[in-house]
Amino acid sequence: METDVLIIGAGPAGLAAALETASRGLAVILIDESSSLGGQLPQQTQLIRPLPSEYGPLRGFELAEKLINQLEDYPINYLLQHRVVGLYADGSVGVTDEENVFPVKAKKMIMATGAAERAVAFPKWTMPGIMTIGAAQTLINRDFVLPGNEAVIIGSSDFAMDVALQLMAVGVNVKGIVEEQPEVQASDNVKIEQVQQSGVPIYLNASIIEARGNGEVAEIDIEHTGTVLTEKVDLVCVDGGRSPILDLFYQLGCSFGYQEKLGGWIPQYNSNFQTDREDAFLAGNAAGITSQGAILLTGMVAGISVCEKLQAISHDEAQQIRGSLFKELEILEDKDIWESRIHHIERYANPKLKDQFIS
Amino acid sequence: MNRLDKSTIICRCEEISYEEIEEVIGNGARTFDDIKRLTRCGMGPCQAKICTSLVAKVIHEETGKPLHEIPLPRMRMPLSPIKLETLATDSTSFSTVKSVLDEVELEDGKVR
Repeated sequence: METDVLIIGAGPAGLAAALETASRGLAVILIDESSSLGGQLPQQTQLIRPLPSEYGPLRGFELAEKLINQLEDYPINYLLQHRVVGLYADGSVGVTDEENVFPVKAKKMIMATGAAERAVAFPKWTMPGIMTIGAAQTLINRDFVLPGNEAVIIGSSDFAMDVALQLMAVGVNVKGIVEEQPEVQASDNVKIEQVQQSGVPIYLNASIIEARGNGEVAEIDIEHTGTVLTEKVDLVCVDGGRSPILDLFYQLGCSFGYQEKLGGWIPQYNSNFQTDREDAFLAGNAAGITSQGAILLTGMVAGISVCEKLQAISHDEAQQIRGSLFKELEILEDKDIWESRIHHIERYANPKLKDQFIS
Repeated sequence: MNRLDKSTIICRCEEISYEEIEEVIGNGARTFDDIKRLTRCGMGPCQAKICTSLVAKVIHEETGKPLHEIPLPRMRMPLSPIKLETLATDSTSFSTVKSVLDEVELEDGKVR
């Protein structure tokens, strides 16, 4: 299989990149391991803002629909339920449909592999009933399965607040939110207030001593202001933040830099969202954990840069579009994330991790 | 980080505890791959997708080494689990994987 552009990951970043490239006449293959487009967006029932000017504010599933619908008129080759498992020596990507493995040769690749939730360790954290907030959200909003009745949430990010509200909306009793830090990590005050008004206590400077249960979680001990609080629960949702998914970049021999605010190790890239490989671009959370609006903008930048390299648009036009996308990114993205991103881009020629042994 | 007792699992696939990781760090392990080679941490079905960040935190807490000096573990093909049957594929027009499977010659779908 051959194509101009291979996009890996059909979440918001991949879909945004697909629009930029397909609408300018390039042949596009879009791969995703899931059976549907949109990545994690379809189960986001909360309002997502801020979004780039041509979108929102929309709820996550509405944004997914919009991103998918605007691709309708273009002849994109969607390879759903397909996974990238590796690379061939000639630079082709090895793709499987679970029956066969076949090579896809692309002039340019845009990797929009997204992020994975991080685990939070405490004694007995591997017991059934203990899961990430994303897993709990997938269960209630996508699978329509109630993960439990009595819950404690560990972590207080904006996403944790969203999931706390969504769990309560389907009848789960959220008994408390446990935060290690001295302040709530979420930045959306409206959501924090909504959670507090629902009567959910937020324990700051608190930690988990252990979970207990016979085969599944039944109790959790929380240390707060020098005392131990025991809650009876059948659900514990942990929010350890997210890490960019890097396997493919590693296989490609890309170099990496470390930016704590962007989720730790991330591929090194320049202002074209191009890695140190001529044919490999990236977008979305893989380029640093950020907000949905910023994810779309990075997908657009990567798409525009690929259009430029494949001469679907001129250098001047690409520069102009990229300039305005970067301006919007600066406005939409949290200040500390934006500053880390700029710092990361400036370090393009001086990566921290490079020339890894690949096997 | 929450207080981890000695028995707290860090790698859930291979059931490697905090204590086992602490011990090999005491013996000089400084990277994820060091710990992997000594304990099997990260060698189960998830191939370190869950424990990478937990192990980095343990190394950081035990040695004081900053997180940006703890390198990524080596990531290998296949990037996610795949059946050998699928990997071997039934196409004879190209080589799927560089392995002994390449050396097998087929005749009417059977090994010659």
